[in-house]
Amino acid sequence: MTMHTRIRTQFFSFGKQFLSGLLIAFVVLSTSSLSAAEKQPTQQQIQFFESKIRPLFVKHCYDCHGPDEQESGLRMDSFQGIAKGGKAGSLIVPGKPEQSLLITAVKYQSPDLQMPPDDKLSKQEVKDLTNWVKMGAPYPNADLSLLRAANEKGKLDLEKEREFWSFQSVKKPALPKVKNSSWVKNPIDKFVLSKLEQAKLTPAKAADKRTLIRRTTFDLTGLPPTLQEINDFLNDTSPQAFEKVVDRLLDSPHYGEHWARHWLDVARYADSNGLDENVAYGTAWKYRDYVVNALNNDKPYDQFLKEQLAGDLLEPTQDLTVRNERLIATGFLSLGPKVLAEVDETKMEMDIIDEQINTIGVSLMGLTLGCARCHDHKFDPILAHDYYGLAGILKSTKIMEHYKKVARWHENSIATEAELKVQALWDRKIKYENDKLAALIKSENERLQKTGGKDFKLPAKPEPSYSKAAQKQLKVLRDKVAALKKERPELPTALGAAEREIVDIPIHIRGSHLTLGETVPRHVPVVMSQQTTEPFPKEKSGRLKFSEWLVNREHPLTSRVIVNRIWRWHFGKGIVATPDNFGKLGAKPTNQPLLDWMAANLMEQGWSIKKLHRMILLSNTWQMSNEWSEQAATIDPDNNLMWRADLRRLDAESIRDSILQVSGGLDLKMGGSLLNVNNREFVFNHESKDGVTYDFNRRSIYLPVIRNHLFGMFMLFDYSDASVLNGDRASTTVAPQALFLMNSHLVEEASQRMADSVLTQTSQSPEQKIQQLFLKSYGRSPSEMEVSRSLQFLDEMEKDLQSEEADSEKRINRAWQVFCQSFFASSEFIYLK
Amino acid sequence: MSMLPHALYSRRELLKKSAVGFGNLALLSMLNDETQAASTKDPLAPKEPHFTPRAKRVIFLFMKGGPSHMDTFDYKPQLQKYDGKPLPFDKPRVQFAPTGNLLKSPWKFKQYGESGIHVSELFPNVAECVDDLCIINSLHGTNAAHGGALLKLHTGSDAFVRPSIGSWVTYGLGTENQNLPGFITICPTLAHGGVKNWSSAFLPAPYQGTPLGNAAVAAEQAQIEYIKNGFLSRKVQRKQLDFLNDLNRQHQQQTGPNQVLEDRIGSFELAFRMQEEVPQVQDISGETEATRKMYGLDEEKTADFGRQCLMARRFAERGVRFIQVSHSDQKVQWDQHGDLLKGHGKNAKEVDKPIAGLLKDLKQRGLLKDTLVVWGGEFGRTPTAQGKNGRDHNPEGFTMWLAGGGVKSGIQYGATDEFGYYATKDKMHIHDFHATLLHLLGMNHEKLTYRYAGRDFRLTDVAGHVAHGILA
Repeated sequence: MTMHTRIRTQFFSFGKQFLSGLLIAFVVLSTSSLSAAEKQPTQQQIQFFESKIRPLFVKHCYDCHGPDEQESGLRMDSFQGIAKGGKAGSLIVPGKPEQSLLITAVKYQSPDLQMPPDDKLSKQEVKDLTNWVKMGAPYPNADLSLLRAANEKGKLDLEKEREFWSFQSVKKPALPKVKNSSWVKNPIDKFVLSKLEQAKLTPAKAADKRTLIRRTTFDLTGLPPTLQEINDFLNDTSPQAFEKVVDRLLDSPHYGEHWARHWLDVARYADSNGLDENVAYGTAWKYRDYVVNALNNDKPYDQFLKEQLAGDLLEPTQDLTVRNERLIATGFLSLGPKVLAEVDETKMEMDIIDEQINTIGVSLMGLTLGCARCHDHKFDPILAHDYYGLAGILKSTKIMEHYKKVARWHENSIATEAELKVQALWDRKIKYENDKLAALIKSENERLQKTGGKDFKLPAKPEPSYSKAAQKQLKVLRDKVAALKKERPELPTALGAAEREIVDIPIHIRGSHLTLGETVPRHVPVVMSQQTTEPFPKEKSGRLKFSEWLVNREHPLTSRVIVNRIWRWHFGKGIVATPDNFGKLGAKPTNQPLLDWMAANLMEQGWSIKKLHRMILLSNTWQMSNEWSEQAATIDPDNNLMWRADLRRLDAESIRDSILQVSGGLDLKMGGSLLNVNNREFVFNHESKDGVTYDFNRRSIYLPVIRNHLFGMFMLFDYSDASVLNGDRASTTVAPQALFLMNSHLVEEASQRMADSVLTQTSQSPEQKIQQLFLKSYGRSPSEMEVSRSLQFLDEMEKDLQSEEADSEKRINRAWQVFCQSFFASSEFIYLK
Repeated sequence: MSMLPHALYSRRELLKKSAVGFGNLALLSMLNDETQAASTKDPLAPKEPHFTPRAKRVIFLFMKGGPSHMDTFDYKPQLQKYDGKPLPFDKPRVQFAPTGNLLKSPWKFKQYGESGIHVSELFPNVAECVDDLCIINSLHGTNAAHGGALLKLHTGSDAFVRPSIGSWVTYGLGTENQNLPGFITICPTLAHGGVKNWSSAFLPAPYQGTPLGNAAVAAEQAQIEYIKNGFLSRKVQRKQLDFLNDLNRQHQQQTGPNQVLEDRIGSFELAFRMQEEVPQVQDISGETEATRKMYGLDEEKTADFGRQCLMARRFAERGVRFIQVSHSDQKVQWDQHGDLLKGHGKNAKEVDKPIAGLLKDLKQRGLLKDTLVVWGGEFGRTPTAQGKNGRDHNPEGFTMWLAGGGVKSGIQYGATDEFGYYATKDKMHIHDFHATLLHLLGMNHEKLTYRYAGRDFRLTDVAGHVAHGILA
């Protein structure tokens, strides 16, 4: 067999059990048409098979799919073999050549599946085969029901599929009974304690106040608590002391900054396109700021989702600010990486839609819907039929202006009333000058006409004949218009979605737009729509309807997925350990009653995220210490049941922000863009020069996110990839992280700043200075031993530096800088107990 | 004096624990020391391949922009003959840009070596090594644009974010020198996929490629980020590290046994050794005059790429698993839509001698037998003319060559049609190329999988077939 054959047949051998087109055919075919196809063939038809088709099979197929070899498990020399198909699935949908694998393969419709591999059949042969399938594949003495059976293989038993835990709608469970009820602060504790008691485990003792405020402040704001905040908390002996801390933090604008970053991970946020042509998404930051504000304002989660999916379609509002905010929110659909120089425009369009479906599925429902692009989902009850039902919605949605390389994405105008007024003013000014210009031309033309007499014909370009003065004046006016146009402010825009021509689209067999199957009406996945819903409107894309379906109380996934995400971002692991996958290959919940109770509660509480935070943080579960127990570790080594608080590393942003904050270098200004590349301009064209700088002291969330070339420090510390959404960042420990902490300019500068700040406190003794550094860095005082070890280190360092630095003041400064740097590099600085 | 009178581990134990497999073994023993596996937790510890490998490491010489196969290693006498005539068959459904009639190669071809393979005068030095080459003339891909084609070649996917081939290889095999990254890419381009071309995507972070500079940086200045400390002497930094270790051990003692914190202490020690070793590898001052000459370091035009190749050899002999060298300037280097003669002439001049030097050097050091050298670009070029004297992108048929590491030498495998437009004989898709490369390294491409988002992913997706015809 040649290499060529191997490549092609490879596609057959991969186990695509449920070939989409075929299955859909089954779903939509009525029984009557099936039995029609099963009518016994006429003698004429058998004749046709024997004279045209069988010889063709013998000549072109038997070598690889005959008695000697059965490539990909396909055997073509018997009807049973043809009906059974190969590993790729059935060959024939009787009566439907356009959906039959056999026909699309011989037509070479898809580059991935072309049979016979070496020589394409003649046009006549293809025509004969097509006719044969149209007739219902007549074959002598054949049991035609075999064909139907083969096509039915993939049929879903929807009722059975709906039994899977995450496809059942959320019911609020009763609170479990627990023995140690004095430990319980709120319902969350009951669910956690119940599991612990079942496993004969006891929760760790409560964390001390310093640990608690440090943990909670980082958790909600991504920043360390100030000394003042720590002291206030320590001095507050009221029972509400911690509650006050939580409320203060939830009210802090820095809460929105930190938690927006979590959401941006699942929204695969970036300021550049990435993939092949890396151009700036120069207006994406508006979406980022929208998310920060939405969280700070505790925008209900259902509203938050609806705005992102269909902000442009929500009920009309007079308030331009609200309208603009909603338009900005739809940036969610457009933020993905796109292959902008894809030569095949149809493929580009479908790839962009696929990226959106995948993002919507994983981020909002924890479902890998993207898998159903090429075939019915192998594990979850998502059909290709469902995928193209959604794809129709997105195809009816305008994301791109055009698909010609380099393709251009759509931006919505988001001008405010005031900006529109200013613009109108400019337009009037320009018109005024233009009118003068036109008048001058008119009068000069008339003058020429007059002086030229009756037979004079105005030349095509009359201006050279104008008077000198008029020519001069023309130039002045034109320059003025040009200058005004240049000065006129651009109206602001933001990338996002709009409606376009409404279409239903056909199934793409094996994901290829070259092999199209049956057209599918726009709809939501069948397994999750309990009752038959009315069809999607003809005049609208259906995004709004889709988003309303998503936040319906009966939707089994939306509330569970977001509750689990929030739990994951608080505790470092989800109740479902795979926050991005709630399907069959995802993890099962370690405590489903807890998850369901919180999900139901979230909906009852009007989808308020802040209320959810509050409940989690005020639970004893959150307030446990990190206390180690040999016995508990034997029973539950991974702490899945939560018998203690896990030790957790700060994320990349918090590491950077706290290094800057503790050293007094963080600029807490909010919002706006730090990207120094204009919208739609190349971040990297063909040059590899990096035009983007990260040398700002603003919070990390405001640093540009350049796909393909993320800020180095972020990449080292497991930042989101920004192209693939990620609700479960890793926490690796690799040597390059150490290199960053040891050698980077950022850390050197911060430690220098920190050293300078303590050294200027000339009234303080070295012991006091050390004390201050421990407090600043760790939020605690040093032990006596730590003070003496520090003093000794500073002393030795100063001596060691004598050979390098003659100036003693500089030497001491350097020694303190080295000392300060050690704090930033230390585990206590970047791990939370 | 230590703050830790009752530390959980003694300092010696700890160092031993965190440094397993990091020992300062002599160079050659390091190469042969696959059994010296580090703790199973170490993601970069050497791993057993699926079967006996033919090659242990890869040096990928990437020619960015798409070198023309008809002008280099795929001799087409018919093209010379029918210059200016229309292509007698259909052009592909999807083309990057319209092209005109056939354009003959402006270079002469000669037969070289015992194999008598035709090589154009663009590569006189590499031609001398032709008996060591396994030239594949039947590569084909799917994407006609640089970005997509680069991603396809490096990650197997032109539409989705997938791990780079170097990441897959280090994920599958680990690496042999724990003081160096397992996957290094020297002066890579930041355009057309940029980091995606060496990123580990969903594979764990230790498998991502470590860039040494980028295409805008001269090879001499290329460095790993943060590898150098510009403000502390080694002695001072050592002392700082000791103090830091004390702090970290103190912290660790309060948190109960914790592997991560222990790994973290080890990571600082490793970083300290890495910043010692990497500059040593990059420092070529100890190389002989003859070696430097062999790589063309003595000539201005070849010095930069020559240095990259020489560094590649130095990383290879120290056990780095996957090394990529990129010939990529500030434009798209080999992308001659016009003025083929000038552009390809300049490009070939820059790389010909260094590549030949690398091949000869690896051979004389006995490294070629278990190092796989790969040469090629993201696609080839059209036999038809773009404008007057240029060629357009052509993913339908192009050439790459392999050398060393268990491939047949002095052969041409597969073929394009008589003009060089389409791969026709023994076609090798990018997926097949990947499958073959993994096979040479002792891995079954269908078994090298990683579970992500509920699915087992492979470099070759659902495709790929090993080209057994090129295995020695």
